[in-house]
Amino acid sequence: MSAVIDLCFFRHNFSIAKRASLSSLLSFSELSCSESEDGKEACLFDFMDKNSVTEKELIFKIRELRQIKPREDWVSLTKSQILGQEPVAEIRFLHFPFLRFPLFKPVYAGLIVVFVVFGAFGFTESSLPGDLLYPVKKIVERSQAVFVSEKGRPQASFELANKRLEELTKIAETNQVKKIAPALEEYQASVAQVTKNLAKVTATTSDPVVIRELAERTQELEKNKEKLEQTYGIAGLEIKEGSNPMKVLVEWLINDLEKRTLTEEQSLLFETAKKNYEAGEFNKSLEKLLTF
Amino acid sequence: MVNYRKEFSKIYDKCIDKIYRFIFLKVNSQEIAQDLTSETFLKGWEAFRKSQNPGHNNQKIENPSAFLYQIARNLVIDHYREKGKAQVISAEYTPIIDPKQDLEEKSLLESDIGQIRLALNDLKEDYQNVIIWHYLDDLPISEVAKMLGRTEETTRVLLHRALKTLRNQMSRIQTS
Repeated sequence: MSAVIDLCFFRHNFSIAKRASLSSLLSFSELSCSESEDGKEACLFDFMDKNSVTEKELIFKIRELRQIKPREDWVSLTKSQILGQEPVAEIRFLHFPFLRFPLFKPVYAGLIVVFVVFGAFGFTESSLPGDLLYPVKKIVERSQAVFVSEKGRPQASFELANKRLEELTKIAETNQVKKIAPALEEYQASVAQVTKNLAKVTATTSDPVVIRELAERTQELEKNKEKLEQTYGIAGLEIKEGSNPMKVLVEWLINDLEKRTLTEEQSLLFETAKKNYEAGEFNKSLEKLLTF
Repeated sequence: MVNYRKEFSKIYDKCIDKIYRFIFLKVNSQEIAQDLTSETFLKGWEAFRKSQNPGHNNQKIENPSAFLYQIARNLVIDHYREKGKAQVISAEYTPIIDPKQDLEEKSLLESDIGQIRLALNDLKEDYQNVIIWHYLDDLPISEVAKMLGRTEETTRVLLHRALKTLRNQMSRIQTS
């Protein structure tokens, strides 16, 4: 047997020799099918080729099992179930030894109620569009909005629109594909609300300082939106023309500046801003109008 | 929080196919494999979260993939122990995603896969694991040895024996 392995090493290469030495299936009797040295060698290599193909085939067949894959929808659903929800804050009061004392049992129950109520509110705060608790979050937001003065409403609606963008960022970060569509709807609705509130303010105010402040908030919202688009490549953030808050502000500023006396340089800039407005480039137009 | 959620999300994406396949080859049922795989990742995620919190004597998970395999192994063992089930091959094989369009080739391929699954299923646990990890998941011998708690040399011997037994099983299946 060793002579045969040596022969392999000499005539071919080390790997074949090693294979021959490792192959427990290889019995020497199978090799001695011919008496002559040449015949024996030929028989050996025939057998080894056959044997190595079998092993290769076996490994190939094992590797074919890589085709076993879980269903893609199940994979994404499971991922969102495990990672999608923000974890509930761990309530560690159970570790407080005084709460285990029987006298405190009613207190314990009361505390649980308090924790559950506040915990639920806390949990809704971190819920995302498409979550079960998200409608509760919306109700809480709406009830808070009732207490906001008419003057403060545009600012509050900007905050809500930015919140919707934050939710979209969280969704994109955790790759919760199914929540993107409802989150986009929520974002569009919040922007429409911003525009509605801005239209009310622009119809009643004549104070350019207020308008400028609101314009800055609008630009901030636009920047956040662009950042989200660039970082995560989310499509569908484009604001519909009818509900673009910039359009409302640009119209107000144009009307206001038309009543004022401008220098030659300012008039040129104003004309460009107007052209931008007519072309639907509200952001560019606003940038120019804010320099006055 | 967001960072280690993102980190675990990457681990999930990297390991989900492997863990699912590892469990599926042992339980031979899509539903059970899905259940045990989700449980594996849920336990993995809980442990991962705790490991990020140094205040609770939690050890850092050095090799998340090996850690998930360990959970999966325990869950499969628990599954058979709890249900008192023998490892029976289901006649109903789940559809296998096959990029090849040719139907004849596909049916041939499926029967090959069916044979290898049957043969693999008849092997003892260590033999199954060493074959799956080394040949299917391409883990190096050193890592397989660590996961099995053996030396590299004994792992090589184990792999050699596992392959030999698998080959015998295959010929038995083919002749029968």
